[in-house]
Amino acid sequence: MSSSTPILVANRLSKTYHMGRVTVPVLREASIEVERGEWVAVVGLSGSGKSTLLHLLGGLDRPDRQPGRTAPNQRGGTIHFESTCVTDLGAAGLNRYRAHSVGFVFQFYHLLPELTVLENAMLPAMTGRTPLAWLNADASRAKAKRLLDRFGLGHRLKHRPNELSGGERQRTAIARALVNGPKVLLADEPTGNLDAKTGGEILEVIRELHGEGLTILMVTHDSSIASMADRVVRIADGRIVAE
Amino acid sequence: MYQILLVIRFLTTRIMPIIAVLAVALCVTLVIVVVSVMTGFLDMLRDSGKRLVGDVIVHMPVVGFPYYRELIADIEALDEAEAATPVIENYGLLQMPYGPGGAGTTEQVQVWAIEPESLAKVLDYHRLIYWKAPTESEAAVLAQDDPRLDPGYDRWPAAMAMQRGGSEKPGAILGIEISPFNHRERDGSYRTHDHSRSAQDRAHWMPQYEVRLTVVPNSSTGAADKEVRAQLDIVNEFQTGVFQIDSHRIFIPLGFGQELFGMDEAPRYSLNEVGPDGSPKRIGSVPSRVTTILVKGAPGVSPEDLRNAVKAAFLRFESLKADDPEAARMPRGVEILTWEERMRDLIGPVEKERGLMQILFSLVYIVCAGLVLAIFWSIVHEKTRDIGVLRSVGASRSGILAIFLAYGLSVGVVGSVVGFGLASLIIHYINEIHTAIGQPAPLLLWASVFVLCGGAVIGAILSILRDSALFTLLWSVIAIILAGVAVLLMLHKGVLIWDPSVYYFSRIPNHVDMTNALSTMGFAVLFSVIGAAVPAARAADTDPVRSLRYE
Ligand SMILES: Nc1ncnc2c1ncn2[C@@H]1O[C@H](COP(=O)(O)OP(=O)(O)O)[C@@H](O)[C@H]1O
Ligand SMILES: [Mg+2]
Repeated sequence: MSSSTPILVANRLSKTYHMGRVTVPVLREASIEVERGEWVAVVGLSGSGKSTLLHLLGGLDRPDRQPGRTAPNQRGGTIHFESTCVTDLGAAGLNRYRAHSVGFVFQFYHLLPELTVLENAMLPAMTGRTPLAWLNADASRAKAKRLLDRFGLGHRLKHRPNELSGGERQRTAIARALVNGPKVLLADEPTGNLDAKTGGEILEVIRELHGEGLTILMVTHDSSIASMADRVVRIADGRIVAE
Repeated sequence: MYQILLVIRFLTTRIMPIIAVLAVALCVTLVIVVVSVMTGFLDMLRDSGKRLVGDVIVHMPVVGFPYYRELIADIEALDEAEAATPVIENYGLLQMPYGPGGAGTTEQVQVWAIEPESLAKVLDYHRLIYWKAPTESEAAVLAQDDPRLDPGYDRWPAAMAMQRGGSEKPGAILGIEISPFNHRERDGSYRTHDHSRSAQDRAHWMPQYEVRLTVVPNSSTGAADKEVRAQLDIVNEFQTGVFQIDSHRIFIPLGFGQELFGMDEAPRYSLNEVGPDGSPKRIGSVPSRVTTILVKGAPGVSPEDLRNAVKAAFLRFESLKADDPEAARMPRGVEILTWEERMRDLIGPVEKERGLMQILFSLVYIVCAGLVLAIFWSIVHEKTRDIGVLRSVGASRSGILAIFLAYGLSVGVVGSVVGFGLASLIIHYINEIHTAIGQPAPLLLWASVFVLCGGAVIGAILSILRDSALFTLLWSVIAIILAGVAVLLMLHKGVLIWDPSVYYFSRIPNHVDMTNALSTMGFAVLFSVIGAAVPAARAADTDPVRSLRYE
């Protein structure tokens, strides 16, 4: 089920970590194209760079910069989201990209303990420029409520994250990722911290979202979970290979 | 918007910000209480200073100046002035009616020769005089055993006449702190007895005795003469509230004072002509003199304006007298000062002291900023992962910075408001608190602390039995602290920090100095934000990826 216009294109991404004098090359010219509406699973050994890839694609981190070299293929790679070059965005552009273009789901949920379920889910809608966010407060609140209702959390809106089960927390996190209506969902081992049954429920949610046309890039190291996706890619030696 | 939500949630769901708020509140309380008391003290000092000398004084020490009646008439004719009164200020030795073997103790005193009727127009003479019948409202608040409630102690008419009824001798009014038998009570009133005797024992009440005053008169040129003695009746005592004045000043009648100091009208003799009887020929008289004129301003006239007007009037008067060949010479160097300039040596040191206090206590703000910095550093550290989450959903660096700055601002604002409330409460009850500290702790209080301590010991024993090391430790510490407090309370015999002989006044000022309070609060807020700024900048610099990998 491939379409002709890829929504997310990563071209020859390199990412190297420096630990003192030791350099750890994690990604070496890794490339990937994700079609609109596609569900791609990323597998690989622990430490192979799956999270690193997702962070780069989500605009949380930048690929290597090599001083003096300006040609794209020599810089540490490029990422394009639709027609935007993410790797060329400034700080403000990156913030907008994180808030509106992609939604992130983490293995450990990463909810804010002081906020209620509803407030957590509304968070990305509130981070934008203040006046607009105020104007849209009611709209984003309604959106967050709708999402939480849909994920079976309608009766938990006023609860704190520590009063929820792992599955409920992850569903709240998914609602948060979707509240600004992003076109791509980036999920880093979303079931990694859950038992099989609860993990299954989360995958069911993801499958539904996929059915509605959302583009999904999901990291997992479980091949049975990966098999639910349209396509599986593997990271090995810093490169992405088809499975 | 999310910043406001987060700040509110951070403030209300964590213990750390509450500690920060308390730290700021305590700093603010400390500064407001100390500076308010100092300011109140200064105001009281200035107030009583003004009460003592009127608004403006014309002053020529020792030799004094003549024609003071005419000068007073000129001054009173000014629009700026309401009333003026002549005074002689000088020094003397006072032999008291008590002392070893009946010989009489000698005190060095400042002598003020006054004219009660005109003095009463310049300052509140009635208020100064101590032995007078209280009004009904005054009587209502006096202690049961206050001697002034007994009409037998009323000596107001004698204070006005400056003479005891039926006596030939001039009267003297003594500062109330001169006699050591006047015991000041906690409420600021006096008892005239040995503590061993009964309350109504009049044996040591001054207005029934005589004193002997020894002075050295001086001529109009300022040369000192042979000393003279005089016997006076004590007709009353006065209280200004300023200890240094109450312990060193006496009032005597103006006319008598002029005789005593050689400042009365005297015949003037020719240096070359001889009279019919062979002695130098009398060619007129040297007019009587005073050293001082106290002037009260008309309502709404500032002391400075009044001083300038009096100065101008004095210059006119002086040149008029210089043109008159018959008139005696006006001395050079007559000072014309506002009450504030005159009281400089009394007020100046206290003002300096307050300034010093303000500077010293500015260090408190730095402590405040340091505390907020340390607390916020740990809060930011604790919140690293959440900061990463916020960044991952699109929060900007400046957004994160704003959260922690607003957080610091709220801690500062809440802390200073709480501190202001606490300070107002303490200042309002400061005299009660001082009295409570000044008294031995009540039996019930320390006994009940002992009981609580016993409870903590039982708690510790129970915890040992339940094998809980933490609670055993906690209960033991509480028991030791309570035991210490109970013993301290039991041994506490009361201390008076506010010693009236050092601090002039019997009551601690209990008004909040609003300007100071507002500036203290402002500074506390400012320094809280400054303290929060460094951790906030660190939070803004947090690498989202690194902080998300935290688990
Ligand atoms: N900040 C960092 N500094 C140094 N090394 C890092 C850092 N973050 C990740 N790494 C290393 O990069 C490699 C890839 O990490 P990651 O992308 O999390 O792998 P995966 O998600 O596939 O388990 C690992 O070897 C990890 O130790
Ligand atoms: Mg990972």
